Amino acid sequence: MASSRSAFLLKYGIPSIAVVVIIIQVYFVNTHNLSKWKGGGYGMYTEIHYFYNQIYIPGMSVDSLLKDDPNMKSTLGYLMLMPNKDNLNEAAKLVLRTTKKDSIHIQIWKPTINSENGVHSRALIDEVYMKTSNL
Amino acid sequence: MKYWSDIKETLSTNIELASQLLLLTLGVYSFVLAEDNRLSKVLVIFIGLMIWFFFRNKTKHPIIWLMFFSLLVIDLFQSYFWLANHHFLIVLMVLSLIFYSYHKREDFLLKNIQMLLVVVLVSSAFQKLMSSQFMSGEFYYYVFNRGGLFRSFLNFSSESLEIVNSNSESILILQDKDPNSNENIVLKDIVPNLHVISLIFAWVTIVFEFIVAIAILWKPKHRWTHLLLSLMILGILCTRLETGFMALLGICGLFLCGNLKLRLLYVTIVLGCVTMMITKLGFH
Repeated sequence: MASSRSAFLLKYGIPSIAVVVIIIQVYFVNTHNLSKWKGGGYGMYTEIHYFYNQIYIPGMSVDSLLKDDPNMKSTLGYLMLMPNKDNLNEAAKLVLRTTKKDSIHIQIWKPTINSENGVHSRALIDEVYMKTSNL
Repeated sequence: MKYWSDIKETLSTNIELASQLLLLTLGVYSFVLAEDNRLSKVLVIFIGLMIWFFFRNKTKHPIIWLMFFSLLVIDLFQSYFWLANHHFLIVLMVLSLIFYSYHKREDFLLKNIQMLLVVVLVSSAFQKLMSSQFMSGEFYYYVFNRGGLFRSFLNFSSESLEIVNSNSESILILQDKDPNSNENIVLKDIVPNLHVISLIFAWVTIVFEFIVAIAILWKPKHRWTHLLLSLMILGILCTRLETGFMALLGICGLFLCGNLKLRLLYVTIVLGCVTMMITKLGFH
């Protein structure tokens, strides 16, 4: 009995880990807005890549914020990969601390496409307003 | 003719051959990723190499596999959400090989590989089925018009290449504008009726993935199963040089395949993919 159980485990244990990873990925996609491209759920090539998401901060250049700042690159990169409220707040806090501004407005947009007429536009995923006094 | 008999002899031991190819792919993949989280990896590599160098013939433990497994796990812990999907596959394939080196049961190893392949293909097909952007053909429409797929073939059509460049330029101009202005652009189609082609291609992709998954589940060693799997791998390589992932699928196929000619095809695919990974012509 014990040997048949271990045989079953040795046959199906490792593929079961793959299934668990997929379940975790689906959970994060649905609750944390993780891009389907990542997380080990094999959802690559199912939607436009998160690389094309756009962070927009009115009155500020995102490119110059990213320049020579690995922490900013990591935080804003994470926001593009998983555009949710928590990551927006993290990004807003970091930008406020870095730029020493009184308030900040950050938006994250994704590209949309209509294949019937070729119209390419952008849709707002989420946005946050934050004041230094809230930090 | 002696060359062919040498090749046949090598191909006859497919588990050993597939393990060697996995080790080669793993070495290249780990080398490419070595710079990420390097501080955590340096000790593992150094100690692993020292043990392997001095004790590889004196221990029953698969030192080199354990070292590579540790490197893969470091990346898992430190960059879980940034890793490519095939990182998760290679971790589990290596784990199967480590277990195999202890239990020595070929049937267990082959069942691991077979089920891993089925899980990957079924998940991939389901994720597509669940994505409205994929099912409406919009995803393919967008990437076709941006030159994201079949890039190598686009070079043969200067007109299509021009349209791709013009679309990319228009998108860049749009990105420089305030998205709150709600401006949009109209992409030009690289070929007529692209929206219909994209929709058909989306369905063909899903149906093919499901067919291959069912074939591997039902007849894992059958010639037709491996014809379909190798066709799928070659098809994906034509659309995009996902050489790292395809090398792993090819190795999985090699583990399971019983036909010598198809084993040769798998070895050719894997070595081609590894070459592309080393030269960085393909993705790792």
